[in-house]
Amino acid sequence: MGQRIKALIIDDEKLARDIVKTYLGKYSSIEIIGECTNGFDAVKMISEQEPDLIFLDIQMPKLTGFEMLEIIDNPPVIIFTTAFDQYAIKAFEVNATDYLLKPFSEDRFADAINKAVKQIENKSGLDKKLDGLLKHIENREEFLERVVIKSGQKISIIPVNEIKYIEARDDYVMIYSDKGNFLKQKTMKYFEENIDPAEFIRIHRSYIVNIMYVKQIQLLEKETYNALLHDSTKLPVSKSGYQDLKKFFDK
Amino acid sequence: MGNPFIKNIKIFTVYILIWVFISIIHNIVIVFLLDVKLEQAFTESIVYNTLYFLLGISLWYTVSYNTLENYTPVKIFINHSAAAVITSAIWVLSGYYILINIFNDDASYKTYLFNSGIWRFMIGILFYSITVAVDYVIIYYNNFRQKLFRESELNALVKEAELKSLKYQINPHFIFNSLNSISSLTLSNPDKAREMTIKLSSFLRSTLSKNEKQKSKLVEEISNAKLYLDIEKVRFSDKFEFVEELESECKDMEIPSMILQPLFENAIKHGVYESLFKVVIKLKCGPEKEYLKIIVENNYDPESVPRKGEGIGIKNIQQRMKLIYNQDNLVTVEKNNGLFKVNIFIPR
Repeated sequence: MGQRIKALIIDDEKLARDIVKTYLGKYSSIEIIGECTNGFDAVKMISEQEPDLIFLDIQMPKLTGFEMLEIIDNPPVIIFTTAFDQYAIKAFEVNATDYLLKPFSEDRFADAINKAVKQIENKSGLDKKLDGLLKHIENREEFLERVVIKSGQKISIIPVNEIKYIEARDDYVMIYSDKGNFLKQKTMKYFEENIDPAEFIRIHRSYIVNIMYVKQIQLLEKETYNALLHDSTKLPVSKSGYQDLKKFFDK
Repeated sequence: MGNPFIKNIKIFTVYILIWVFISIIHNIVIVFLLDVKLEQAFTESIVYNTLYFLLGISLWYTVSYNTLENYTPVKIFINHSAAAVITSAIWVLSGYYILINIFNDDASYKTYLFNSGIWRFMIGILFYSITVAVDYVIIYYNNFRQKLFRESELNALVKEAELKSLKYQINPHFIFNSLNSISSLTLSNPDKAREMTIKLSSFLRSTLSKNEKQKSKLVEEISNAKLYLDIEKVRFSDKFEFVEELESECKDMEIPSMILQPLFENAIKHGVYESLFKVVIKLKCGPEKEYLKIIVENNYDPESVPRKGEGIGIKNIQQRMKLIYNQDNLVTVEKNNGLFKVNIFIPR
Protein backbone atom coordinates (compact mmCIF):
# COMPACT_ATOMS: atom_id res chain seq x y z
CA MET A 1 0.00 0.00 0.00
CA GLY A 2 1.48 3.26 -1.11
CA GLN A 3 -0.28 6.04 0.69
CA ARG A 4 -1.13 6.22 4.35
CA ILE A 5 -4.78 6.24 5.33
CA LYS A 6 -5.93 9.64 6.56
CA ALA A 7 -8.03 9.39 9.70
CA LEU A 8 -10.09 12.01 11.52
CA ILE A 9 -11.37 11.63 15.10
CA ILE A 10 -14.65 13.34 15.93
CA ASP A 11 -15.73 13.31 19.56
CA ASP A 12 -16.54 15.98 22.10
CA GLU A 13 -14.75 14.24 24.96
CA LYS A 14 -11.00 14.53 25.12
CA LEU A 15 -10.44 11.21 26.87
CA ALA A 16 -12.55 9.45 24.26
CA ARG A 17 -10.40 10.93 21.50
CA ASP A 18 -7.25 10.02 23.43
CA ILE A 19 -8.01 6.33 23.55
CA VAL A 20 -8.67 6.18 19.80
CA LYS A 21 -5.41 8.04 19.26
CA THR A 22 -3.52 5.65 21.52
CA TYR A 23 -4.94 2.56 19.82
CA LEU A 24 -4.23 4.04 16.39
CA GLY A 25 -0.61 4.67 17.39
CA LYS A 26 0.16 1.02 16.62
CA TYR A 27 -0.92 1.28 12.98
CA SER A 28 1.85 2.76 10.92
CA SER A 29 -0.36 2.73 7.82
CA ILE A 30 -2.82 5.15 9.39
CA GLU A 31 -2.14 8.82 9.92
CA ILE A 32 -4.26 11.00 12.18
CA ILE A 33 -4.87 14.24 10.34
CA GLY A 34 -6.91 15.90 13.02
CA GLU A 35 -9.43 15.89 15.83
CA CYS A 36 -12.77 17.63 15.99
CA THR A 37 -14.89 18.34 19.03
CA ASN A 38 -18.18 19.07 17.28
CA GLY A 39 -20.13 18.50 14.10
CA PHE A 40 -19.57 21.96 12.64
CA ASP A 41 -15.78 21.69 12.74
CA ALA A 42 -16.01 18.17 11.38
CA VAL A 43 -18.02 19.23 8.32
CA LYS A 44 -15.39 21.83 7.53
CA MET A 45 -12.48 19.52 8.18
CA ILE A 46 -13.91 16.72 6.05
CA SER A 47 -14.49 18.95 3.04
CA GLU A 48 -11.01 20.50 3.34
CA GLN A 49 -8.88 17.50 4.23
CA GLU A 50 -10.89 14.67 2.67
CA PRO A 51 -10.02 11.97 5.18
CA ASP A 52 -10.36 8.31 4.20
CA LEU A 53 -11.65 7.24 7.59
CA ILE A 54 -13.54 8.94 10.39
CA PHE A 55 -14.20 7.90 13.96
CA LEU A 56 -17.52 9.45 14.78
CA ASP A 57 -19.39 10.00 18.03
CA ILE A 58 -23.15 10.47 17.81
CA GLN A 59 -24.09 12.76 20.68
CA MET A 60 -22.20 16.01 20.18
CA PRO A 61 -22.97 19.70 20.53
CA LYS A 62 -24.61 21.47 17.58
CA LEU A 63 -24.79 18.63 15.10
CA THR A 64 -25.16 14.98 15.98
CA GLY A 65 -23.01 12.47 14.13
CA PHE A 66 -25.97 11.51 11.92
CA GLU A 67 -26.90 15.08 11.12
CA MET A 68 -23.31 15.75 10.16
CA LEU A 69 -23.28 12.82 7.75
CA GLU A 70 -26.42 14.10 6.06
CA ILE A 71 -24.71 17.26 4.88
CA ILE A 72 -21.30 16.06 3.75
CA ASP A 73 -20.90 15.27 0.08
CA ASN A 74 -18.51 12.35 -0.20
CA PRO A 75 -18.66 10.49 3.08
CA PRO A 76 -15.46 8.65 3.97
CA VAL A 77 -15.42 5.24 5.62
CA ILE A 78 -17.15 5.59 8.98
CA ILE A 79 -16.55 3.89 12.30
CA PHE A 80 -19.04 5.01 14.92
CA THR A 81 -17.80 5.23 18.50
CA THR A 82 -20.65 5.78 20.89
CA ALA A 83 -22.16 4.80 24.21
CA PHE A 84 -25.61 4.37 22.69
CA ASP A 85 -26.54 0.96 21.42
CA GLN A 86 -29.91 1.98 20.02
CA TYR A 87 -28.47 3.61 16.92
CA ALA A 88 -26.70 0.56 15.51
CA ILE A 89 -29.30 -0.13 12.85
CA LYS A 90 -29.44 3.48 11.80
CA ALA A 91 -25.64 3.49 11.63
CA PHE A 92 -25.65 0.69 9.09
CA GLU A 93 -28.35 2.48 7.14
CA VAL A 94 -25.85 5.24 6.55
CA ASN A 95 -23.33 2.60 5.45
CA ALA A 96 -21.14 2.72 8.50
CA THR A 97 -18.35 0.19 8.42
CA ASP A 98 -18.47 -0.59 12.10
CA TYR A 99 -20.09 0.46 15.32
CA LEU A 100 -17.92 0.50 18.42
CA LEU A 101 -19.70 0.62 21.73
CA LYS A 102 -17.85 2.57 24.39
CA PRO A 103 -15.82 1.41 26.16
CA PHE A 104 -14.29 -0.92 23.59
CA SER A 105 -11.27 -3.23 23.76
CA GLU A 106 -8.18 -3.02 21.63
CA ASP A 107 -9.09 -6.30 19.91
CA ARG A 108 -12.52 -5.04 19.00
CA PHE A 109 -10.92 -1.85 17.73
CA ALA A 110 -8.50 -3.91 15.61
CA ASP A 111 -11.44 -5.72 13.99
CA ALA A 112 -12.99 -2.43 13.04
CA ILE A 113 -9.73 -1.15 11.60
CA ASN A 114 -9.30 -4.32 9.53
CA LYS A 115 -12.76 -3.93 8.06
CA ALA A 116 -12.16 -0.28 7.34
CA VAL A 117 -8.79 -0.87 5.72
CA LYS A 118 -10.24 -3.54 3.45
CA GLN A 119 -13.01 -1.26 2.44
CA ILE A 120 -10.70 1.64 1.71
CA GLU A 121 -8.36 -0.59 -0.34
CA ASN A 122 -10.91 -2.07 -2.71
CA LYS A 123 -13.57 0.64 -2.40
CA SER A 124 -16.21 -2.03 -2.56
CA GLY A 125 -18.62 -0.30 -0.32
CA LEU A 126 -20.70 -2.04 2.26
CA ASP A 127 -22.06 -5.46 1.63
CA LYS A 128 -25.14 -4.72 -0.40
CA LYS A 129 -26.94 -7.77 0.92
CA LEU A 130 -26.76 -6.36 4.43
CA ASP A 131 -27.91 -3.02 3.16
CA GLY A 132 -30.97 -4.58 1.56
CA LEU A 133 -31.78 -6.53 4.66
CA LEU A 134 -31.65 -3.48 6.87
CA LYS A 135 -34.19 -1.68 4.76
CA HIS A 136 -36.82 -4.13 6.00
CA ILE A 137 -36.15 -3.57 9.64
CA GLU A 138 -38.51 -1.11 11.18
CA ASN A 139 -36.46 1.22 13.27
CA ARG A 140 -38.73 4.12 13.95
CA GLU A 141 -38.67 4.46 17.68
CA GLU A 142 -37.91 8.14 17.35
CA PHE A 143 -39.27 10.85 15.10
CA LEU A 144 -37.22 13.66 13.67
CA GLU A 145 -36.74 16.55 16.05
CA ARG A 146 -34.82 18.79 13.73
CA VAL A 147 -33.67 19.01 10.16
CA VAL A 148 -30.17 20.02 9.10
CA ILE A 149 -29.55 21.80 5.82
CA LYS A 150 -26.34 22.88 4.22
CA SER A 151 -26.46 25.61 1.63
CA GLY A 152 -23.01 26.63 0.46
CA GLN A 153 -20.93 27.07 3.59
CA LYS A 154 -23.92 27.76 5.79
CA ILE A 155 -25.42 25.07 8.00
CA SER A 156 -28.96 25.63 9.26
CA ILE A 157 -30.68 23.63 11.93
CA ILE A 158 -34.47 23.81 11.89
CA PRO A 159 -36.52 22.35 14.71
CA VAL A 160 -39.38 20.42 13.10
CA ASN A 161 -42.00 22.38 15.00
CA GLU A 162 -40.85 25.50 13.13
CA ILE A 163 -41.50 23.89 9.76
CA LYS A 164 -44.72 25.21 8.21
CA TYR A 165 -44.95 22.83 5.31
CA ILE A 166 -42.90 20.70 2.95
CA GLU A 167 -43.29 20.82 -0.81
CA ALA A 168 -42.16 18.14 -3.29
CA ARG A 169 -39.58 19.23 -5.90
CA ASP A 170 -38.54 16.19 -7.95
CA ASP A 171 -35.61 14.63 -6.07
CA TYR A 172 -35.65 17.39 -3.49
CA VAL A 173 -38.10 18.92 -1.10
CA MET A 174 -38.56 22.57 -0.28
CA ILE A 175 -38.93 23.17 3.44
CA TYR A 176 -40.87 26.30 4.36
CA SER A 177 -40.16 27.46 7.90
CA ASP A 178 -40.23 30.51 10.11
CA LYS A 179 -36.53 30.91 9.45
CA GLY A 180 -36.88 30.86 5.65
CA ASN A 181 -37.13 28.28 2.90
CA PHE A 182 -34.63 25.50 2.42
CA LEU A 183 -34.02 22.96 -0.31
CA LYS A 184 -33.09 19.50 0.91
CA GLN A 185 -32.16 16.35 -0.92
CA LYS A 186 -34.68 13.99 0.61
CA THR A 187 -37.94 12.50 -0.59
CA MET A 188 -41.49 13.19 0.57
CA LYS A 189 -41.61 9.55 1.59
CA TYR A 190 -38.64 10.05 3.90
CA PHE A 191 -40.40 12.86 5.72
CA GLU A 192 -43.70 11.05 5.78
CA GLU A 193 -42.01 8.13 7.52
CA ASN A 194 -39.75 10.05 9.87
CA ILE A 195 -41.79 12.98 11.00
CA ASP A 196 -44.28 12.72 13.85
CA PRO A 197 -47.72 11.98 12.31
CA ALA A 198 -49.33 13.64 15.32
CA GLU A 199 -47.86 16.93 14.12
CA PHE A 200 -47.61 16.60 10.35
CA ILE A 201 -50.10 15.38 7.76
CA ARG A 202 -49.56 14.64 4.12
CA ILE A 203 -52.43 16.59 2.64
CA HIS A 204 -51.48 16.18 -1.00
CA ARG A 205 -49.10 14.29 -3.27
CA SER A 206 -46.82 17.33 -3.12
CA TYR A 207 -47.46 18.69 0.36
CA ILE A 208 -46.91 17.75 3.99
CA VAL A 209 -48.24 20.35 6.39
CA ASN A 210 -47.63 21.15 10.06
CA ILE A 211 -51.04 21.00 11.74
CA MET A 212 -50.14 23.86 14.08
CA TYR A 213 -49.94 26.22 11.13
CA VAL A 214 -53.28 25.32 9.59
CA LYS A 215 -55.86 28.01 10.21
CA GLN A 216 -58.80 26.54 8.35
CA ILE A 217 -59.86 24.17 5.60
CA GLN A 218 -61.75 25.87 2.82
CA LEU A 219 -64.25 24.26 0.49
CA LEU A 220 -63.57 25.54 -3.02
CA GLU A 221 -66.14 23.54 -4.92
CA LYS A 222 -67.59 20.10 -4.53
CA GLU A 223 -64.91 17.84 -2.98
CA THR A 224 -62.12 20.30 -3.67
CA TYR A 225 -60.44 21.79 -0.62
CA ASN A 226 -57.70 24.22 0.26
CA ALA A 227 -55.78 24.45 3.51
CA LEU A 228 -55.36 28.03 4.62
CA LEU A 229 -52.30 28.61 6.81
CA HIS A 230 -51.89 31.34 9.39
CA ASP A 231 -49.59 33.25 7.06
CA SER A 232 -52.39 33.09 4.43
CA THR A 233 -50.61 30.57 2.23
CA LYS A 234 -53.07 28.29 0.47
CA LEU A 235 -52.21 24.67 -0.15
CA PRO A 236 -54.22 22.19 -2.20
CA VAL A 237 -55.74 19.27 -0.31
CA SER A 238 -56.36 15.95 -2.00
CA LYS A 239 -59.32 13.70 -1.25
CA SER A 240 -57.37 11.35 1.01
CA GLY A 241 -55.55 14.31 2.53
CA TYR A 242 -58.91 15.80 3.43
CA GLN A 243 -59.93 12.56 5.13
CA ASP A 244 -56.71 12.59 7.17
CA LEU A 245 -57.15 16.21 8.16
CA LYS A 246 -60.74 15.58 9.16
CA LYS A 247 -59.75 12.57 11.19
CA PHE A 248 -57.21 14.71 12.99
CA PHE A 249 -59.53 17.60 13.75
CA ASP A 250 -62.36 15.32 14.83
CA LYS A 251 -60.17 13.89 17.55
CA MET B 1 -63.84 25.73 50.15
CA GLY B 2 -67.36 26.61 48.98
CA ASN B 3 -70.46 26.06 51.04
CA PRO B 4 -71.10 22.29 50.88
CA PHE B 5 -74.81 22.83 51.62
CA ILE B 6 -75.07 24.54 48.24
CA LYS B 7 -72.23 22.94 46.28
CA ASN B 8 -72.70 19.32 47.27
CA ILE B 9 -76.03 17.92 46.07
CA LYS B 10 -75.80 14.93 48.42
CA ILE B 11 -75.31 17.03 51.54
CA PHE B 12 -78.03 19.39 50.36
CA THR B 13 -80.55 16.56 49.94
CA VAL B 14 -79.79 15.14 53.37
CA TYR B 15 -80.12 18.64 54.83
CA ILE B 16 -83.59 19.07 53.28
CA LEU B 17 -84.71 15.66 54.53
CA ILE B 18 -83.57 16.50 58.07
CA TRP B 19 -85.65 19.68 58.05
CA VAL B 20 -88.69 17.88 56.66
CA PHE B 21 -88.32 15.41 59.55
CA ILE B 22 -87.96 18.21 62.11
CA SER B 23 -91.07 19.90 60.68
CA ILE B 24 -93.10 16.72 61.09
CA ILE B 25 -91.96 16.31 64.71
CA HIS B 26 -92.71 19.96 65.29
CA ASN B 27 -96.26 19.43 63.97
CA ILE B 28 -96.86 16.36 66.04
CA VAL B 29 -95.59 17.94 69.24
CA ILE B 30 -97.60 21.14 69.05
CA VAL B 31 -100.78 19.48 67.81
CA PHE B 32 -100.89 16.65 70.33
CA LEU B 33 -99.13 18.14 73.34
CA LEU B 34 -100.00 21.82 73.06
CA ASP B 35 -103.42 21.51 71.35
CA VAL B 36 -102.59 23.90 68.53
CA LYS B 37 -105.02 23.78 65.59
CA LEU B 38 -103.82 21.67 62.70
CA GLU B 39 -103.85 24.53 60.20
CA GLN B 40 -101.91 26.81 62.53
CA ALA B 41 -99.47 24.09 63.49
CA PHE B 42 -98.77 23.39 59.84
CA THR B 43 -98.15 27.05 59.00
CA GLU B 44 -96.05 27.59 62.10
CA SER B 45 -93.77 24.66 61.41
CA ILE B 46 -93.30 25.76 57.79
CA VAL B 47 -92.46 29.33 58.78
CA TYR B 48 -90.06 28.53 61.63
CA ASN B 49 -88.35 25.59 60.01
CA THR B 50 -87.92 27.25 56.60
CA LEU B 51 -86.37 30.21 58.38
CA TYR B 52 -83.86 28.02 60.19
CA PHE B 53 -83.30 26.01 57.08
CA LEU B 54 -82.00 29.19 55.42
CA LEU B 55 -80.16 30.45 58.51
CA GLY B 56 -78.43 27.09 58.86
CA ILE B 57 -76.98 27.32 55.36
CA SER B 58 -75.56 30.77 56.04
CA LEU B 59 -74.05 29.65 59.36
CA TRP B 60 -71.43 27.87 57.25
CA TYR B 61 -69.73 31.18 56.62
CA THR B 62 -69.32 32.01 60.31
CA VAL B 63 -67.91 28.56 60.86
CA SER B 64 -65.44 28.68 58.00
CA TYR B 65 -64.14 32.01 59.36
CA ASN B 66 -63.81 30.77 62.92
CA THR B 67 -61.22 28.03 62.51
CA LEU B 68 -58.32 27.23 64.78
CA GLU B 69 -55.97 28.49 62.10
CA ASN B 70 -57.46 31.98 62.40
CA TYR B 71 -58.40 32.36 66.08
CA THR B 72 -57.68 31.04 69.53
CA PRO B 73 -60.23 28.58 71.00
CA VAL B 74 -61.42 31.18 73.52
CA LYS B 75 -62.04 33.72 70.80
CA ILE B 76 -63.92 31.14 68.76
CA PHE B 77 -66.10 30.25 71.75
CA ILE B 78 -66.96 33.93 72.38
CA ASN B 79 -67.71 34.50 68.69
CA HIS B 80 -70.02 31.53 68.52
CA SER B 81 -71.81 32.36 71.76
CA ALA B 82 -72.58 35.82 70.45
CA ALA B 83 -73.60 34.47 67.07
CA ALA B 84 -75.84 31.84 68.70
CA VAL B 85 -77.72 34.47 70.70
CA ILE B 86 -78.11 36.85 67.76
CA THR B 87 -79.12 34.12 65.31
CA SER B 88 -81.67 32.64 67.67
CA ALA B 89 -83.14 36.05 68.48
CA ILE B 90 -83.49 36.90 64.80
CA TRP B 91 -85.07 33.54 64.15
CA VAL B 92 -87.61 33.73 66.99
CA LEU B 93 -88.59 37.34 66.33
CA SER B 94 -88.92 37.14 62.56
CA GLY B 95 -91.02 33.96 62.87
CA TYR B 96 -93.13 35.65 65.50
CA TYR B 97 -93.88 38.68 63.34
CA ILE B 98 -94.71 36.62 60.29
CA LEU B 99 -97.11 34.39 62.24
CA ILE B 100 -98.95 37.14 64.15
CA ASN B 101 -99.57 38.82 60.84
CA ILE B 102 -101.03 35.66 59.35
CA PHE B 103 -103.19 34.76 62.38
CA ASN B 104 -103.97 38.32 63.34
CA ASP B 105 -107.46 37.63 64.67
CA ASP B 106 -106.69 34.63 66.90
CA ALA B 107 -105.87 36.09 70.30
CA SER B 108 -105.18 32.75 72.03
CA TYR B 109 -102.69 31.71 69.34
CA LYS B 110 -100.92 35.06 69.72
CA THR B 111 -100.58 34.51 73.46
CA TYR B 112 -99.32 31.03 72.87
CA LEU B 113 -96.74 32.36 70.38
CA PHE B 114 -95.60 35.03 72.81
CA ASN B 115 -95.29 32.66 75.74
CA SER B 116 -93.44 30.02 73.79
CA GLY B 117 -90.79 32.56 72.66
CA ILE B 118 -88.30 31.68 75.39
CA TRP B 119 -88.57 27.98 74.56
CA ARG B 120 -88.08 28.66 70.90
CA PHE B 121 -85.04 30.69 71.79
CA MET B 122 -83.57 27.69 73.63
CA ILE B 123 -84.32 25.46 70.66
CA GLY B 124 -82.63 28.06 68.43
CA ILE B 125 -79.47 27.80 70.55
CA LEU B 126 -79.66 24.00 70.28
CA PHE B 127 -80.06 24.15 66.48
CA TYR B 128 -77.16 26.56 66.29
CA SER B 129 -74.89 24.27 68.28
CA ILE B 130 -75.77 21.20 66.23
CA THR B 131 -75.39 22.96 62.87
CA VAL B 132 -72.04 24.45 63.87
CA ALA B 133 -70.79 21.10 65.15
CA VAL B 134 -71.75 19.40 61.89
CA ASP B 135 -70.07 22.18 59.88
CA TYR B 136 -66.83 21.72 61.83
CA VAL B 137 -66.92 18.00 61.22
CA ILE B 138 -67.34 18.62 57.49
CA ILE B 139 -64.47 21.12 57.43
CA TYR B 140 -62.04 18.91 59.29
CA TYR B 141 -63.00 15.86 57.34
CA ASN B 142 -62.38 17.74 54.10
CA ASN B 143 -59.04 19.09 55.31
CA PHE B 144 -58.03 15.63 56.34
CA ARG B 145 -58.90 14.22 52.93
CA GLN B 146 -57.04 17.02 51.19
CA LYS B 147 -54.00 16.41 53.32
CA LEU B 148 -54.02 12.71 52.49
CA PHE B 149 -54.39 13.57 48.82
CA ARG B 150 -51.53 16.06 48.92
CA GLU B 151 -49.28 13.61 50.68
CA SER B 152 -49.88 10.86 48.18
CA GLU B 153 -49.33 13.28 45.31
CA LEU B 154 -46.10 14.44 46.89
CA ASN B 155 -44.88 10.91 47.30
CA ALA B 156 -45.62 10.20 43.68
CA LEU B 157 -43.64 13.25 42.59
CA VAL B 158 -40.63 12.41 44.75
CA LYS B 159 -40.67 8.88 43.34
CA GLU B 160 -40.85 10.28 39.85
CA ALA B 161 -37.89 12.59 40.42
CA GLU B 162 -35.85 9.79 41.92
CA LEU B 163 -36.73 7.47 39.10
CA LYS B 164 -35.84 10.06 36.49
CA SER B 165 -32.57 10.80 38.14
CA LEU B 166 -31.81 7.12 38.48
CA LYS B 167 -32.72 6.54 34.88
CA TYR B 168 -30.48 9.36 33.83
CA GLN B 169 -27.54 8.27 35.94
CA ILE B 170 -27.63 4.68 34.86
CA ASN B 171 -28.38 5.50 31.25
CA PRO B 172 -25.81 4.44 28.67
CA HIS B 173 -24.77 7.95 27.86
CA PHE B 174 -23.61 8.74 31.34
CA ILE B 175 -22.33 5.44 32.57
CA PHE B 176 -20.65 4.04 29.48
CA ASN B 177 -19.06 7.33 28.61
CA SER B 178 -17.73 7.51 32.16
CA LEU B 179 -16.39 3.99 31.83
CA ASN B 180 -14.85 4.93 28.51
CA SER B 181 -13.08 7.84 30.20
CA ILE B 182 -11.73 5.44 32.81
CA SER B 183 -10.61 3.08 30.09
CA SER B 184 -8.76 5.91 28.42
CA LEU B 185 -7.23 7.12 31.69
CA THR B 186 -5.80 3.69 32.47
CA LEU B 187 -3.47 4.27 29.54
CA SER B 188 -2.56 7.87 30.14
CA ASN B 189 -3.05 8.46 33.85
CA PRO B 190 -3.70 5.36 35.98
CA ASP B 191 -3.94 7.33 39.24
CA LYS B 192 -6.70 9.44 37.87
CA ALA B 193 -8.41 6.36 36.50
CA ARG B 194 -8.51 4.89 39.97
CA GLU B 195 -9.85 8.11 41.42
CA MET B 196 -12.57 8.25 38.80
CA THR B 197 -13.53 4.63 39.43
CA ILE B 198 -13.96 5.39 43.12
CA LYS B 199 -16.01 8.50 42.43
CA LEU B 200 -18.26 6.71 40.00
CA SER B 201 -18.73 3.86 42.46
CA SER B 202 -19.62 6.04 45.41
CA PHE B 203 -21.94 8.06 43.26
CA LEU B 204 -23.75 4.99 41.96
CA ARG B 205 -23.93 3.60 45.46
CA SER B 206 -25.55 6.73 46.81
CA THR B 207 -27.98 6.79 43.91
CA LEU B 208 -28.98 3.18 44.22
CA SER B 209 -29.49 3.35 47.98
CA LYS B 210 -31.62 6.46 48.05
CA ASN B 211 -33.47 6.55 51.32
CA GLU B 212 -37.05 7.61 51.71
CA LYS B 213 -36.25 10.86 53.45
CA GLN B 214 -38.27 13.83 52.25
CA LYS B 215 -35.76 16.38 53.47
CA SER B 216 -32.05 16.46 54.10
CA LYS B 217 -29.38 18.95 55.03
CA LEU B 218 -28.21 21.40 52.40
CA VAL B 219 -24.56 20.31 52.73
CA GLU B 220 -25.50 16.67 52.18
CA GLU B 221 -27.46 17.49 49.06
CA ILE B 222 -24.60 19.60 47.75
CA SER B 223 -21.94 16.98 48.39
CA ASN B 224 -23.95 14.35 46.56
CA ALA B 225 -24.55 16.63 43.62
CA LYS B 226 -20.86 17.50 43.58
CA LEU B 227 -19.92 13.88 43.24
CA TYR B 228 -21.92 13.85 40.05
CA LEU B 229 -20.31 17.07 38.82
CA ASP B 230 -16.84 15.68 39.56
CA ILE B 231 -17.46 12.76 37.25
CA GLU B 232 -18.73 14.98 34.47
CA LYS B 233 -15.70 17.18 35.11
CA VAL B 234 -13.38 14.31 34.25
CA ARG B 235 -15.23 13.83 30.98
CA PHE B 236 -15.44 17.50 30.08
CA SER B 237 -12.47 18.93 31.95
CA ASP B 238 -12.07 21.84 29.60
CA LYS B 239 -15.74 22.51 29.03
CA PHE B 240 -17.12 23.55 32.37
CA GLU B 241 -16.33 25.01 35.70
CA PHE B 242 -18.25 24.78 38.94
CA VAL B 243 -18.39 27.74 41.31
CA GLU B 244 -19.97 27.57 44.73
CA GLU B 245 -20.90 30.40 47.06
CA LEU B 246 -22.31 29.01 50.25
CA GLU B 247 -22.97 31.16 53.30
CA SER B 248 -21.95 29.11 56.31
CA GLU B 249 -25.13 29.74 58.30
CA CYS B 250 -27.13 27.89 55.62
CA LYS B 251 -25.18 24.66 55.77
CA ASP B 252 -27.40 22.83 58.22
CA MET B 253 -30.69 24.06 56.85
CA GLU B 254 -33.04 21.42 55.58
CA ILE B 255 -34.15 21.31 51.98
CA PRO B 256 -36.35 18.80 50.15
CA SER B 257 -34.15 15.97 48.92
CA MET B 258 -33.39 15.53 45.24
CA ILE B 259 -34.06 19.09 44.17
CA LEU B 260 -30.47 20.23 43.55
CA GLN B 261 -29.27 17.31 41.54
CA PRO B 262 -31.84 17.53 38.72
CA LEU B 263 -30.84 21.17 38.30
CA PHE B 264 -27.18 20.27 37.83
CA GLU B 265 -28.13 17.50 35.43
CA ASN B 266 -30.12 20.05 33.54
CA ALA B 267 -27.19 22.45 33.38
CA ILE B 268 -24.88 19.70 32.13
CA LYS B 269 -27.32 18.30 29.61
CA HIS B 270 -28.52 21.53 28.06
CA GLY B 271 -25.56 23.73 28.85
CA VAL B 272 -22.38 21.67 28.62
CA TYR B 273 -23.41 18.98 26.13
CA GLU B 274 -24.77 21.48 23.64
CA SER B 275 -22.23 24.25 23.93
CA LEU B 276 -18.98 24.87 22.09
CA PHE B 277 -17.56 27.20 24.70
CA LYS B 278 -16.87 26.92 28.39
CA VAL B 279 -19.88 26.77 30.67
CA VAL B 280 -19.78 28.06 34.23
CA ILE B 281 -22.23 26.41 36.61
CA LYS B 282 -22.79 28.53 39.69
CA LEU B 283 -24.44 27.57 42.96
CA LYS B 284 -25.31 30.31 45.44
CA CYS B 285 -27.00 29.71 48.77
CA GLY B 286 -27.87 32.41 51.25
CA PRO B 287 -30.61 33.68 53.52
CA GLU B 288 -33.09 36.14 52.11
CA LYS B 289 -35.78 37.45 54.46
CA GLU B 290 -37.67 34.44 55.80
CA TYR B 291 -36.30 32.17 53.08
CA LEU B 292 -33.22 30.24 52.20
CA LYS B 293 -32.50 31.26 48.64
CA ILE B 294 -30.74 28.81 46.35
CA ILE B 295 -29.63 29.87 42.89
CA VAL B 296 -28.33 27.52 40.24
CA GLU B 297 -27.24 29.28 37.09
CA ASN B 298 -25.31 28.42 33.98
CA ASN B 299 -24.51 30.12 30.74
CA TYR B 300 -25.55 28.31 27.58
CA ASP B 301 -25.33 28.70 23.84
CA PRO B 302 -28.45 30.66 22.90
CA GLU B 303 -28.10 29.41 19.34
CA SER B 304 -28.34 25.77 20.24
CA VAL B 305 -31.62 24.30 19.11
CA PRO B 306 -33.66 23.08 22.07
CA ARG B 307 -34.31 19.39 22.27
CA LYS B 308 -37.29 17.66 23.68
CA GLY B 309 -37.43 16.99 27.39
CA GLU B 310 -36.43 20.44 28.50
CA GLY B 311 -38.12 21.78 31.58
CA ILE B 312 -39.66 18.52 32.77
CA GLY B 313 -37.22 18.24 35.66
CA ILE B 314 -37.86 21.82 36.70
CA LYS B 315 -41.62 21.38 36.52
CA ASN B 316 -41.35 18.42 38.85
CA ILE B 317 -39.37 20.51 41.34
CA GLN B 318 -41.95 23.30 41.12
CA GLN B 319 -44.79 20.90 41.84
CA ARG B 320 -42.99 19.33 44.74
CA MET B 321 -42.11 22.64 46.36
CA LYS B 322 -45.72 23.70 46.04
CA LEU B 323 -46.97 20.53 47.68
CA ILE B 324 -44.42 20.56 50.48
CA TYR B 325 -44.79 24.21 51.46
CA ASN B 326 -48.29 24.88 50.14
CA GLN B 327 -47.09 28.07 48.50
CA ASP B 328 -46.75 29.24 44.91
CA ASN B 329 -43.78 30.82 43.16
CA LEU B 330 -41.07 29.20 45.27
CA VAL B 331 -39.25 28.18 42.11
CA THR B 332 -38.64 30.74 39.38
CA VAL B 333 -36.77 30.37 36.13
CA GLU B 334 -35.02 33.16 34.26
CA LYS B 335 -33.61 32.68 30.82
CA ASN B 336 -32.01 35.56 28.99
CA ASN B 337 -28.82 36.64 27.26
CA GLY B 338 -27.51 33.12 27.29
CA LEU B 339 -27.88 32.79 31.05
CA PHE B 340 -30.16 30.16 32.53
CA LYS B 341 -31.03 30.76 36.15
CA VAL B 342 -33.23 28.87 38.58
CA ASN B 343 -34.12 30.48 41.91
CA ILE B 344 -35.46 28.37 44.73
CA PHE B 345 -36.91 29.84 47.90
CA ILE B 346 -37.08 27.47 50.85
CA PRO B 347 -39.27 28.77 53.69
CA ARG B 348 -37.38 28.55 57.00
